[in-house]
Order: sequence, then C-alpha cells, then structure tokens
Amino acid sequence: MNPEFIRTLQDLLPQIQGYIYPNEIEIHWGLLIVVYPYITGVVAGAFILASLVKVFNVKEVQPLYRLSLLTALAYLLVAPMALVAHLGHPERFYEILLTPQTSSAMAMFGFVYAWYLMAVLLLEIWFVHRTDMIAWAEQETGVMRFVHRTLALYSRDTGDRSVAFDHKALKAITIVGIPSAFLLHGYVGFIFGSIKANPWWSSVLIPIVFLFSAIVSGIALVILLYMVLTPLTGGKISMRCVDKAVDFLFYAVIVDFSLELVDFIHRVYQSEEEIKILSEMVMNKLFASLVIIQVLLGMLVPLLLISLTKIFKRRFALNEDLRKMVYFIAVILIQMGIFATRWNVVIGGQMFSKSFRGLTMYKMEFGGIEGLLFAILLLALPIMILAVLAKILPPWREMHGADSGDVEVAGS
Amino acid sequence: MGKFFEKFPDPLARLIVVFLALFAVGVIVVVVLIPKPMKAVEMQWADAVKREQGRPIKYAGFHACAECHDKLYEMKKKGYHRDLSCETCHGPAKAHTEDPDKTKPVTPVERTFCPQCHAYNPSRPRGFPQINPVAHNPLKPCASCHNPHDPKPPTTPKECSACHGEIARMKAVSHHVQLECTTCHEAPQQHKVSPRAIKPTKPQTREFCGKCHAKDAKDKLAKNAPKIDLAEHGEKYVCWQCHYPHSPEVEQ
Repeated sequence: MNPEFIRTLQDLLPQIQGYIYPNEIEIHWGLLIVVYPYITGVVAGAFILASLVKVFNVKEVQPLYRLSLLTALAYLLVAPMALVAHLGHPERFYEILLTPQTSSAMAMFGFVYAWYLMAVLLLEIWFVHRTDMIAWAEQETGVMRFVHRTLALYSRDTGDRSVAFDHKALKAITIVGIPSAFLLHGYVGFIFGSIKANPWWSSVLIPIVFLFSAIVSGIALVILLYMVLTPLTGGKISMRCVDKAVDFLFYAVIVDFSLELVDFIHRVYQSEEEIKILSEMVMNKLFASLVIIQVLLGMLVPLLLISLTKIFKRRFALNEDLRKMVYFIAVILIQMGIFATRWNVVIGGQMFSKSFRGLTMYKMEFGGIEGLLFAILLLALPIMILAVLAKILPPWREMHGADSGDVEVAGS
Repeated sequence: MGKFFEKFPDPLARLIVVFLALFAVGVIVVVVLIPKPMKAVEMQWADAVKREQGRPIKYAGFHACAECHDKLYEMKKKGYHRDLSCETCHGPAKAHTEDPDKTKPVTPVERTFCPQCHAYNPSRPRGFPQINPVAHNPLKPCASCHNPHDPKPPTTPKECSACHGEIARMKAVSHHVQLECTTCHEAPQQHKVSPRAIKPTKPQTREFCGKCHAKDAKDKLAKNAPKIDLAEHGEKYVCWQCHYPHSPEVEQ
C-alpha cells in the first residue's frame, strides 16, 4: 500500500478489530453526512407541525405556525450545504439539475429538494405573508420597504378575491406539502434503506423510521425555539399551545420508538449472518451513542418526563414553571437523541466490515471541511438564517397573541 | 397580455410570471448555454477513459519479471505464494524493467512486512499460516528461515523458544537460566503440531520444586539454590502460585 496513505491512517490502524477490507479502514461518510439527515429531518418535522394548524385545524398550536414555517425554510436552505461541501466541489452543485441523471437516486435529490423548496415551502410562506408584506411596506421607508415590496412581487391587491385566493392556495399547498415533506425525508431514509450490501441500512422500515424521527426532531426544535424566543421578544409562553404541541411530540416519539423497536426485534429474530458483528458493534463501538444517548437519554427519559406531567396532571397543572422546565429538558434531550440517531445510522453503517469479521473506527477531524468545526457552523447557520428571516417576516405577533385568538394577518 | 392575467387573482398572476421566468431561464440554460458535449454521457465516459490512460504506468506485471528472473518465477509458480504477483511484495517495477541497473525494486526485509498477512488474527481463515510476531523467533528476519519464493508449510519447531520467545528471553536472564524447559514441563510431541489442543504439563506438587529448594534437597544443581522448609513455608499452595518460575525472585 501507499506509505503516505498508511501514514494518514496511523491513528486508526491500532483501533481496528478483527479483519476488515483495506478500503474500509477510513470512514468516508463522516460528520457532514450525519448533519445532513438531521437538518433535513428538522425541515420535514417543522413543516408537519405547521400543517397541523392549516390542514388538521389544531387551533392551540397556531402560535407555532409561522415560526415553524420559517424554521423549516432556514433549515432547508442549509440542508444541501452539508452534501455539496462533502462532495468537495460545491461550485459544481447546479450541474445535477442541468444534466439530470434519472437512474441515480442521489442525483434525483436535487429535484426533490427543488420541488419542496419552490413548490411547497416558499409558496406557502409567500401566501401566508403576502397581505402582511403589503401592509408592512406601506408603513415603512427605505430598505425594508423595498425588501417587502419586492418579496410581495409588487402586489398591492388586498381585495377579497385575492385574500380568498390566498386562503384557498394555502390549504392546497399544505395538502400537497404533507406528502412532499414525507417525500423529502422518506427519500433520505430511502437512500440508506436501499443499499442492499449494507445490512445495518438495508431495511424497508428505514424510510419510515427516518420520517418519524424527523417529525420528532422538527416538533421538538420548534417547541424549543418557541420557549426560548417568546420570552426574549417580550411575550408570554402560551402553555395551552406548548401542552398541545408536546402532546403531538409525545405520540410521535412513541411511534418512532415502537418502529425502531420493531426494527430491532426483527433483526434479532431474523438473526442473519451479520447479527454477530452488528451486536458486537452496538455493544462496544456504538454503546454510548446508541444505547445511552439515543435510546435512554433521547427517548426513554423524555417519554418518562412527559408521562410524568400526564400522570400527575393535577399537580403539574398548578405549577406552570415546573411543567415548562420538564418540557424544556425533554425537548433538548430529544434533539440530542435524534442527532445520535443520525450518527448511529450513518457512522454505524460504515463501522463494520463487509467481511462481517471486523470493526473499524471513526476518527473525527477538528478543522477542515469534514471537521467538527464546520459541522458546528452548519448546525448554527440555520439559527442565523432564522434570525434574518424573522427580521424580514416577523412571526412575533402570532407567537405572542395566541391566547387572545387574534391571529389574523396584520393590516387586513 | 394584461387582459389575460386579469382573469387570475392578483397573487396567482404574479406567481405565474415568476415561475414562467424561472422556467424560461432554466430552459435557456439547458438548451442553449450548455454545450452538447457536456450533456453527452458517452463523451464524458470517453474523457474518463482517456484520463485514466494518461496516467503513468508503474506496474510491469509478472510476465515482465519472468523474462529475466525465470528461475525464481518457476520456483514461485509451484509454491504457496503462486497467487501473489511479484510486485505485491517488491512494489511497482515498471521502471526496473526499463532500466534494470538504474532502479531496483524493493526487497522487504523488515519483520513488519510478512505479518501484514501472517500475523495471528482470529478472523483469518483456519489453516492459514499465522504467527505471533512478538513471540515468533524475535528479531530474526522472516527470510532467514522461510524462502519467500517457495514458503514451506510450517515445520515443527525444534525449540520451545520458536513460539515462546518471550519466556525464553526472560528465563535467559533469570536464576533458572541453566534449567531446560523440559526440566519442569513435559511437552508431548503432539503439542508442536496442535499447540492449543495438546498442552504441556506444569508441576502440580510442592515436592517438585522441593527437589531443589527444600531444606534437605540432594540434587546437584540445588547446591546454591535458596532453601525453605516445605512443611512451614507456603502451606497448601503450589510454589508457582506465588513465585514466577521463569524469573524467580532472589530474596534469601
């Protein structure tokens, strides 16, 4: 082998157990590929939460509606960055759209993404904010007036016919949006689930597990953002809203947990040839991230915490602050757990050898485009984008005004 | 045109314009701006083939070696390494075939090289020759016993140190240096063939060590050995449960 190559793997070589093929020493899908499904999941989950309001008429979570749409957009803009950065030539990304390769599932992602961004999310946000932007522009001067005018496509029509059309269009887009959000994240799971050669990934349940963990992470993140941003912007957290959202979160976690349990039991019962190496991987290399963080801290503890507020309903009803704190801890733990889920899928799937006889090790870089620093930047970027979006399309009125039921668009 | 758009609600009309514009830009880029060769997959493949062909050739292939080194080639052809190419061990040799005097291929002599395949590893197939590089004839180059062009299946080791090198080295600097391994261990012949299935014996009684170390020991070698009273010292324990016999301590 190339001595220079061996030198780069010097740290990894002693960590290898058993026999692995030479091309398996280094894990090629690293931290960026962990970040990618995590961020995409947040998009899908946040959108599903938004659609609860529009399609399923859950009035209690109305304060989260615009926040969740903006969160979805902020995260969606960052989602492909992890991928194109990983591929190494970010400047060539548009080529997958211009010269489509229809037989490659990965290349088709560009179209799934474009569909979701252009035909669902941007349209929905535009229709929600159109009359608002017209009203804002009338009261503003300077740059913001120009921004709102342009974003409203210079529309000034707030007549009944247009507003009625806005509402109709919103309903239609959200209905199309739900399967689209499922497609977006189910697709990410499909990429992994369809890799026949890798028994850790190859499962028809993977897209569905991805979908539900996406819903879990999206709802949890929006609740977290709501609980942090509302007091910061001078509003009061509506517990009616948080209670309801946590209800949905609770059910989503239960479904997600059951699906993963079914997958696990199925694997153990099937006991195919890979079961030995997989169980060794889970018990050694992935023990902390899978058993402790993903299952125990990311699922069981939050489930227990939320159940406590349900079992001792009366006691918790009296003490809002305690309930808030319990929810707060639960959603943070869930975020951690879902990130660990992505880690375990992506990194775990490459840790064992195709020979089923050995395990390798993932060595995370700190700097560089595949490193920890860049991943943290990518995880922080959506929050920054969200801050900009919230400046342009402020969701505060809706977030603060939930209890009065006043959620109609400003200026109408 | 204005009349046509009036049929739609205002927001829809504006969106239609935006999306039509985007679509038009897309079509223009795909149809007009992108040159045909960029879209033709065959061309790109051809380019890839050309690019690969343009890379410098480093390996000569074993036929080239056989032309001059025919004896080695014939020998290797019949041996256990017949499936390995010459350049697997000697490295790329294209330059050597072009100018044999100027560049010589490498001959790996260091002890880390052969263990890349032959170090003991539980996941390697059973029956594949494997050794423990630390204990197996330490410091000796592999080629001093094995001919790499015709490696023989493992022969029965003649001495215990062939496998138990660490113990042998330790014993060599201890007070037990003069004792043969067989003084204390009975190693059945079969142990050399299947070392893990048939094991040598260990002394099982206190009286065994007592032959030298008891107060009334009569053995010639035991003249200067430390003596103890077997009845009082160590009670029910066998000696090697407290004293490591390959490097016994010196306390009197």
